[in-house]
Amino acid sequence: MKHNLFRGLGAILFKEFIVVWRDPMTLFFMFFPPLIEMIAFGYALDTDVKHMAMVVYNEDRTVESRQLIDRFVNTETFRVVGEVQSVDQLASEIRKGRAYVGLQIPPTFTRDVRAGNPAQVQLLVDGSNSTTALQALNTGLGIALTQSVESLLRETGRHGVPIEIRPQMLYNPAMRSPNFYVPGVIGVVLQIGTTVATAMALVRERERGTLEQLLVSPLSRAGLMLGKIVPYLCIGMAMAVLLFVIMRFVFNVPIAGNVVAMLFSALVYVFALLSLGLLVGTKAENQMQALQMSMVFLLPSVFFSGFIFPRETMPWIFYALGALFPTTYFISLMRAIILRGANFFEYWPHLAILIGMSILLFVLCALRFRKKIG
Amino acid sequence: MSEAMIQCEGLMKRFGTFTAVDHVSFSVGKGSIFGFLGPNGSGKSTVIRMLCGILEPSDGTAKIGGHDIVREMEPIKEMIGYMSQQFSLYDELTVNENLIFSGKLYGLRDKELKQRRDEMIETTHLQPFIDRRASHLSGGWRQRLAMACSLMHKPTVLFLDEPTAGIDPVARRELWDLLFEFAGGGMTLFVTTHYMDEAERCDHVGYIYMSKLIVCGEPDELKQMPDVNPPGTRRLDVTCDHVTMALQAVHQLRGVRSATVFGQSMHLLVDESVKRAQIDEKLRSAGIGHAEIHEIGPSLEDVFVELSAKHAAEQQKAA
Repeated sequence: MKHNLFRGLGAILFKEFIVVWRDPMTLFFMFFPPLIEMIAFGYALDTDVKHMAMVVYNEDRTVESRQLIDRFVNTETFRVVGEVQSVDQLASEIRKGRAYVGLQIPPTFTRDVRAGNPAQVQLLVDGSNSTTALQALNTGLGIALTQSVESLLRETGRHGVPIEIRPQMLYNPAMRSPNFYVPGVIGVVLQIGTTVATAMALVRERERGTLEQLLVSPLSRAGLMLGKIVPYLCIGMAMAVLLFVIMRFVFNVPIAGNVVAMLFSALVYVFALLSLGLLVGTKAENQMQALQMSMVFLLPSVFFSGFIFPRETMPWIFYALGALFPTTYFISLMRAIILRGANFFEYWPHLAILIGMSILLFVLCALRFRKKIG
Repeated sequence: MSEAMIQCEGLMKRFGTFTAVDHVSFSVGKGSIFGFLGPNGSGKSTVIRMLCGILEPSDGTAKIGGHDIVREMEPIKEMIGYMSQQFSLYDELTVNENLIFSGKLYGLRDKELKQRRDEMIETTHLQPFIDRRASHLSGGWRQRLAMACSLMHKPTVLFLDEPTAGIDPVARRELWDLLFEFAGGGMTLFVTTHYMDEAERCDHVGYIYMSKLIVCGEPDELKQMPDVNPPGTRRLDVTCDHVTMALQAVHQLRGVRSATVFGQSMHLLVDESVKRAQIDEKLRSAGIGHAEIHEIGPSLEDVFVELSAKHAAEQQKAA
């Protein structure tokens, strides 16, 4: 008699591939929502602030004041959407949401500049969105500072500023937000179809009574689990490749590092997610429960994995929570490999953790199977 | 009894505080058909599931073919087949694919696998449906396919959990013909059922009631039990018109211990002192015409009804 660790694997693979292939709904739900979310997330999560609506109240009406407005527009951060005739109107336009920023140039502006007195310009910023507000503020301050420095230089006759910072943005020189978000979106989106798929596949066997039939046979636990995972691993990887292609050619995110390392990380990650799904499947009693329990893992991972909010700024408890999700490590791997072009010696700790998690989840699953399923 | 294939000793299963199977002991001879009966929820399926290794017993031991069901499940798995109540099949797979899958699960391959599949298709006459999805089979054919699947690896012991529930009478009869054929070939069959006519056809029957096996033996033996045939009583079959009216009438007669309707007739358990003429007269006065009365032995159903009532009464007294 053969005591094979993976006994019966061939039979399960044979069956599972047919079942998956003949159940177009499962395929549809594995592919369609992630694709939609990838596109949606990819476009929506664009925090590059450009062409913010600005209203102007110019009481000065001189060449100098118009040059100031031009400077605002030339940054590409602002665009003028209208001129108003009072401070009240300025405030009201912002309140109505027609503009984020209001610029008021007092009648004394040109006179003060020419006289060498401090010229005052008022900038009203809609603070209800902190990201855009911050950028508007910084840009506004920058404009004022540059112009001030220029006139000071002219007066003193010096040729350069005392200290000059020459920033160089590494890895994402254009500061494009898709470069930052899209690799993370892949991590989040890959979770959707995969975890639920194996959880459902196992629960369905239990509901139909076929699981009992399998337990009566000499099929090994590892054979059963691997047989359930492999078909979905194939689908998951097809999905991953598709997402990488979209990332590269739709969102134009360049891949700085090794493509093989990127795909291998995805393979390990999907395996971990599928094992997690099986674990959920051993616990859930019906498909509804399986779905809800999967969500318990999916939702927090979106927040705590560092996908949107940097983990380093989180309270320690959420930081620690984030360390429990495979997604956290996958996202940092993707950013390392895709954006920073990191090599194996630079990213291996996260890859090692991800591999460890996959093995742990798989073994946990096998142990749960050991207890007879009643 | 010939060599024992299945042997249970004080088998127990508890779910929390509920005892689903309480000290069940019996043995089933090789090549015999063992009928396992009892009301819903009495513990029939739990016993089967323990014997098949799906559930672990809380206490007691059981052996199949000499192997312990807890410690030596691996060799047992190779020799048993199991057909569950739900006829568990993969709906997305065709008849052919279901059979191939079951064979592969037990390590059959290539020529052996195809040959065995062809044999099973011939035995169960599934040929016309070979490429049909299991989801598109009617109840009777699903049951045949489920059985064919459980037989792919040539088990020496076959467990069938209510194989005929929800199946039409013709399919039921054909299934039993097959079971006899298998038993004739040396296979040991363990069948749970609710049908008394099926129970009558078994070599041995066990009756489980409220988690306890209250009786076990050959059907004819059971009918001779003193509990079923109390001294000083006899059983009568009364055939007449308007049986339900007649039932009410005979209940008023002294010395009638129990009366049960069986189709066009009723079975009475009466004191020996009750004369046929008395019954006849009673029925006439109730406006019922001629009645045919003759003495009969107990049926298996009588046996189980009597024993359940007695057991329930004892339980009540104990509590």
